[in-house]
Amino acid sequence: MIRFDAVTKRYPGGHEALSNATFEIASGEMVFLSGHSGAGKSTLLKLIAAIERPTAGSVTVNSQNVGKMRRAAIPYLRRNIGLIFQDHKLLFDRSVMQNVLLPLQIAGFPRQEAAGRARAALDKVGLLKREKANPITLSGGEQQRLCIARAIVSRPGLVLADEPTGNLDADYARDIMDMFKAFNQVGVTLVIASHDEDAIRAYGSRVIHLEHGVLLS
Amino acid sequence: MMTWLAHHRQALVATLARMGKTPFATLFAIIAIGVALCLPAGLFVLLHNITRLAADLPAQPEISVFMRQDANDADIASMRQRLQARTDLAGFRFVSRTQALAALSKQAGMNDLTAGLSANPLPDAWILSPAQADAQNMARIAADIRGWPQVAQVQDDSQWAQRLTALLGLGRDLAWVLAILLGTALVAVSGNTIRLQILTRREEIEVSRLIGATDRYIRRPFLYFGVVQGLFGGLTAWLIVAVSVLLLDPQASKLAALYSSPFHLTGLELVEALALLATAAALGWLGAYLAVSRSLRLIEPR
Repeated sequence: MIRFDAVTKRYPGGHEALSNATFEIASGEMVFLSGHSGAGKSTLLKLIAAIERPTAGSVTVNSQNVGKMRRAAIPYLRRNIGLIFQDHKLLFDRSVMQNVLLPLQIAGFPRQEAAGRARAALDKVGLLKREKANPITLSGGEQQRLCIARAIVSRPGLVLADEPTGNLDADYARDIMDMFKAFNQVGVTLVIASHDEDAIRAYGSRVIHLEHGVLLS
Repeated sequence: MMTWLAHHRQALVATLARMGKTPFATLFAIIAIGVALCLPAGLFVLLHNITRLAADLPAQPEISVFMRQDANDADIASMRQRLQARTDLAGFRFVSRTQALAALSKQAGMNDLTAGLSANPLPDAWILSPAQADAQNMARIAADIRGWPQVAQVQDDSQWAQRLTALLGLGRDLAWVLAILLGTALVAVSGNTIRLQILTRREEIEVSRLIGATDRYIRRPFLYFGVVQGLFGGLTAWLIVAVSVLLLDPQASKLAALYSSPFHLTGLELVEALALLATAAALGWLGAYLAVSRSLRLIEPR
């Protein structure tokens, strides 16, 4: 599903975030990206979602060359990717429900169907009772779950999570990891960046380890 | 198709809701646009009314020739022959002094005056229509006839009509210049309000992009905002012009009545008003488009 071929990403100013990375992730896999902060995990995820373009090499997602994709085609790629951010990127000018509805509105779902799907997604992350609340009133763990609900509401085939448990208590973190495992069991491909080596080991999934932009699988 | 319609409905509803959330900012922007637009629109209305008033005047420029008081029938007959011989006239007609007096007594208030006259003070007259109505040609004909026997006076009527036409033309050009200037102002006002909105909604734009929104989707609500704001501005301008006409009409008709004219001020006709609204909407859209296109290039998700 995802293929990196000798991918290098150098930011303006010369910092090389990723050096000559080659690997493959099959459809339906759940893969952890490990490494210290600044090791290149976020850059790797951004390359998959075409938020950044590689300096050299090719990134292929669903047999599309993402690095060379036309600007106008990128939104359609992203609609099939659920993005989960460490800082959640929620919109505080609207309700929990409205936040989850946003991807469906963008994709143009009919209102009834969108509302049904959004409720199902909120139910899955245990936030259905808070659907009318403003996200700013939610706790950190709840905000992270809301971000997950928004990422999965359009049922993407691929979910990318950048430090999804970064700021959370161990209990919350376990909840979220269990959620990811449940998604994986219904066939969703997951790539999860985390610096929490213990949590990663506990799940026994495949781990791609990065150090200073270099892959050490 | 349904998706497209749903998107448009969504954008329109969101736009109106957003306007409702900031009623004062919206109101001020609409007033600014309305006042800017009402100036050229008002000038057009004014010119339209003057043109209508001027339409009662002879459209075809004419030359009036007055005979001497002592001219007799033979003089008139020879005059007729000389005029018929000219090739530079499209036509002419004779107004006898008795005809002229009868016409004059019919005018309001003149009857008493003419009834008291012992003799007819009016001269026989000719009204000539030149074949070519340019000022030079008319002046040449007038000078020519001025030298004929028994001719007392030759009046080139065209001059003041030409002056009026030129003045109206100038006014029309002025209205266009104003319209272009203030239209540009409208684009700027629209662009600026949209730019401010984009700044406050930067986060939403970034997030929308990350979850697969196309540029078109992001642009749409802003374009709607520009169009709706322009439309309301145009409506305000229409209202200002209509109310002004309503307020000025009693005085204008009173003035016209003093000259025994049934003249009434008219406002914008429906087609003109619709054109005003369409222009306002189009310019609002343009301002929004320019602002949003520039800002979208600056906001890339990181």
